[in-house]
Amino acid sequence: MRKDLEHKFVTELENNQNIVHKVCSLYTNNRDAHNDLFQEITIQLWKAYPKFRGESKFSTWMYRVALNTAITLYRKSKKQVRTQDYHDFIYKIKSDEYDHTQEQQLKLMYDALKQLGDIDKALVFLYLEDKDYSEISDTLGISEVNARVKMNRIKKKLRTIVNP
Amino acid sequence: MDELELLKKDWQKKEGMMPKLSYDEIYSMLWKKSSSIVKWIFIISIIEFVLPHLLYLLPSVRQGMDFYEQLGVKNLMIGISVFNYVVVFYFIFQFYKRYREISVLESARDLMRRIIRTRRTVKHYIIFALSLFLFSFLAIASAIYFSDGEHLISVLNLDDEAKDLSPTRLKALISIVFIIMGILFTALIGLIYFLIYGLLIRKLGRNYNELKRLEI
Repeated sequence: MRKDLEHKFVTELENNQNIVHKVCSLYTNNRDAHNDLFQEITIQLWKAYPKFRGESKFSTWMYRVALNTAITLYRKSKKQVRTQDYHDFIYKIKSDEYDHTQEQQLKLMYDALKQLGDIDKALVFLYLEDKDYSEISDTLGISEVNARVKMNRIKKKLRTIVNP
Repeated sequence: MDELELLKKDWQKKEGMMPKLSYDEIYSMLWKKSSSIVKWIFIISIIEFVLPHLLYLLPSVRQGMDFYEQLGVKNLMIGISVFNYVVVFYFIFQFYKRYREISVLESARDLMRRIIRTRRTVKHYIIFALSLFLFSFLAIASAIYFSDGEHLISVLNLDDEAKDLSPTRLKALISIVFIIMGILFTALIGLIYFLIYGLLIRKLGRNYNELKRLEI
């Protein structure tokens, strides 16, 4: 019975691990920290799994647990050493279809994204993941109107960073 | 084109560039120890509840009871201890109840609110424990001040040292020493405690306030 549950959980997580990796890439600056956060999120997901009743999709349920873990995890310092290989992996664009300015803009935006506060990151992340405002407000525990207001402020902030 | 839309498009293309862990790698993570703040708060809080009570295991603290008896404050001290334990159990019960209510499945705001509330229970307990600690010192100081001077000198074995001082001045001196010691100890323990509290809760408090500010 327990073995079944383990198997089901790991398979689901394996198939949806991208969500967790994306959260980790946003909230950490190097591979070690990325792996630590991934592990912590996995533990939290597993602990909460018995309460997952399949009312929502597994992936939807994951967003909340993953973001909550990232936001509340105790980290020693905000300043972490950026290792070059990891940094590349986050923003490097391998496709040719962008012109040079766009590539430059994207790089600036990814950099700006990493500098946002924990809450702002969560908001932008859900937005980038194409979540609607009702889901965003529900996940963060704020009203839909306030989620929009905050998102607009972040947009402005990003825009001034990209077009100084 | 909106910059953010550009970012979104690019972001969604990145799916394929993320690392990929195998079934076995994920499976092995299930048995690893969590390092979440909730767990740390639980461990540190339990230490903070237990630590002051371990002091009573020290012989010197137990011998203090004889001293209280001769000073005539034994009943008061026993009263304070009983009161202390009743309140401690109330705090532990409250703490455990709030700790159990923490769930990673709530919205970020509610989760943070519950974590902070749990920790606040411990903060109130520490404020209570420190006040009681200070009060005990003040009670002893006033008991000394209003005690019989000659008797006090023999209780404290100060016959030699007390030759040059009148009993009244000696009493005042010892009282003042007790008051100063009480204030210093309280301040020191308080400082250590609030440093730990501050460090643990600082980032969480900042994130929580950011969400709360939005709702005003």
